[in-house]
Order: sequence, then structure tokens, then C-alpha cells
Amino acid sequence: MSGTPTAREKLASQQAALLNALLANGPAPDGFDERRIDVERRALLAKRRGIVRMLGPDIADTLGDRFQPLFDVYAAENPRRTGSRAREDAAAFAEWCRAAGELPTGRKARWKFWRPN
Amino acid sequence: MAGIADLGVGIGWRPEIDLTVERLPGVDFVEVVAENLHIGHLPESVTLLLDRGVPVLPHAVSLSLGGAEEVDLARVEHLGAVAEAVGAPLVSDHVCFVRAGGLDSGHLMPVPRTRDALDVLVANVRTAQRNLPVPLALENVAALLEWPDGELTEGQFLAELVERTDCWLLVDVANLYANARNIGTDPGRFLDEIPLERLAYVHVAGGVEHGEVYHDTHAHAVLPEVLELLDELCSRVNPPGVLLERDDNYPSDTEIASELAAIRAVVDKKRD
Repeated sequence: MSGTPTAREKLASQQAALLNALLANGPAPDGFDERRIDVERRALLAKRRGIVRMLGPDIADTLGDRFQPLFDVYAAENPRRTGSRAREDAAAFAEWCRAAGELPTGRKARWKFWRPN
Repeated sequence: MAGIADLGVGIGWRPEIDLTVERLPGVDFVEVVAENLHIGHLPESVTLLLDRGVPVLPHAVSLSLGGAEEVDLARVEHLGAVAEAVGAPLVSDHVCFVRAGGLDSGHLMPVPRTRDALDVLVANVRTAQRNLPVPLALENVAALLEWPDGELTEGQFLAELVERTDCWLLVDVANLYANARNIGTDPGRFLDEIPLERLAYVHVAGGVEHGEVYHDTHAHAVLPEVLELLDELCSRVNPPGVLLERDDNYPSDTEIASELAAIRAVVDKKRD
């Protein structure tokens, strides 16, 4: 096997490194302006957050001011995988919030109902 | 293939502004986002426009033709099927990558302007063309960051892409403005270097300044500087069509109509 990477292989590693920096808090690849990496990271995050807000306005309303900081933590921990859909992202965020106790789960609501206080 | 038929002035059809698009005067053609349409279930509004004889051009955002991964033929086939469903004379996507390393950026990311990246793009575009029923036009994207080690200007990169694939160009003057602002692209040189005889049509959109960069949002008004670039382009070539893209934060019908009128005024301006 040749040790020289093909154009496609080279491009694959360059693009993967950039998306890892932008979407998964990876290190900025060599040669990029780190400030611009940060600008792009925030732009992509804002776009993704806007789509999730649009798809789940009730959840965004329930979370209120907590929506943005929570979403941003969720997003960095869960970069969108190839083949995933925006609706799945919105559902996964809601699930993540429930697991973190930031959104009521159906079960908790029932307990609340027959809790004596 | 012969030149692109005259399209006129158009607007991106979106479900949120379907009624607006239907009742706006002077909409000569529309564009639909191919990924949002389902074959066999075209939105009523799109069918109505087709019945009126308004050309509907499918615009794709997910082929990732500048990506290192092999072309996803299911996406290409869907785009082709949409083209056939609406009887489109051509389809388009972008000179960009969307996915890499198992991650999806959800956005149109710029590609490195290197010979290697161009070779991959050319191979991908040829694969797409072989699997499409109509010609493919490719659009320049807006970048917030610059890849290191670029070997070609953006104009040279696109010119070589056209030469090697015979694709058409969809020139977005708002993206050109964004790149001039954000990564130092010289718009005059860009327009000198691209083969304007392969221009399919032009995109115009709004955006906003934020800190040190210009964001191509499609959610704000079109800047006068962007219309100046359209004017600059029109002084070199009579574009077959010019289309306004608005994707969010929709203004009143009146405001959209006045943006279309401003575009038409530039296109129709008397030139020596």
C-alpha cells in the first residue's frame, strides 16, 4: 500500500479536523485564525439552536432563559452526526433536559399529583 | 447545451411565505429547496405556480459536493426527481461541504481552494451530473473563515471547475460581498475570473454585520452594497435571472415587493 494519501484522503482529514473543532470543541487545525474558528463555531451553534427552537417552541418557552445555555452545553456534548435529522436533534435535546432534571418528565408530574403537599 | 432561457426576477419559495409569493406582482420564477419537497406531495402553492407557468427551480443544500466523502446518490436522485416533478430546466447546489468525519455541520462550509480539493470536487460534480436528468449549476458560498494554503483565488477555482465539468454557475452576490468583507475576496477580480457565459442566474440576499464579520443571514434586508455588486455584475453580463432569497424573519409583502423592485431596477438599468 502506498504511504502517500490521495487527494480525497487528505481532504477528508482536513475537513474532519475542521468540523471537529467547530462542532465538538476540538482544537483549531493548524493555519486557521482561532478567532474566526470561534466566530464560525458560534454561528453554527446559533443556527442549530434556532432550528431546535423552531421545532420545539414549547420546550424553549418552558426553559425560558435557561434554553440557550442548556442547549449550548447539550450541543457541544452531542455534535450532530451524519444522517441525523433536525427533528431527532430537537427530541434528543428535550430528552437530555429531562435526564438533567431541567424539564419535568411525565412520571414526575404524576408523582406531583398525589404528593401530599 | 445552449444558453439558459431568460428567467427574469424571482424569489425563493418558502412555505412560510407561500401566499406572499403567489400574490406578489412580477415574480417571474421561483426556487424551491429540494430537500424539503416530497415527490407526489408537492405543496399546493407550488402546483399553483406551475399551473400559472412560473418556472420552479430546485435548489439543493445537502449534496456536499465539495466533501471528501463519495457522493450520496440517494440525495442526487431525489434532486433529479424533484426536477422532473416540476419540469425544471436545471438544478443547483453549492461549492461546499456539509459533512465530514461522521459529523454534520448543518451548514454550507467552504472548501479549501487547493488543487487536491478541486480534483475531489470535480470528480463529485461529474458523478452528480451523470445521475441528474438536467444541467447542474453550482453556487459560491459565504465564508466566515479562510482555509490556509489556498492555491487559487475563488474566481480561478470556480473557472477551473466550470472548465473541467461544464457545470453552470449560480453567482450569489451577497455571498461574494460576505467573502469580500470576511476573507478579503476581491469582487472585481472574482467577476473577471469566472466564465460569465456560464452564468445560470444570480442570488441576492440580506445579511447583517456582527462584530468584525458580515453574516449572510437571509433574515435581514438586502444591503445597498450587495445591490452595487449586482450592478457591477450586470455591467459585465445580462444575467438570465436574478432571485431574492429570504429564509427567516419575514417582512411584510410590501417590503419584499420593494426588494424585488430594487433588484429589477438594477437589472433593467440602461447601460452604455
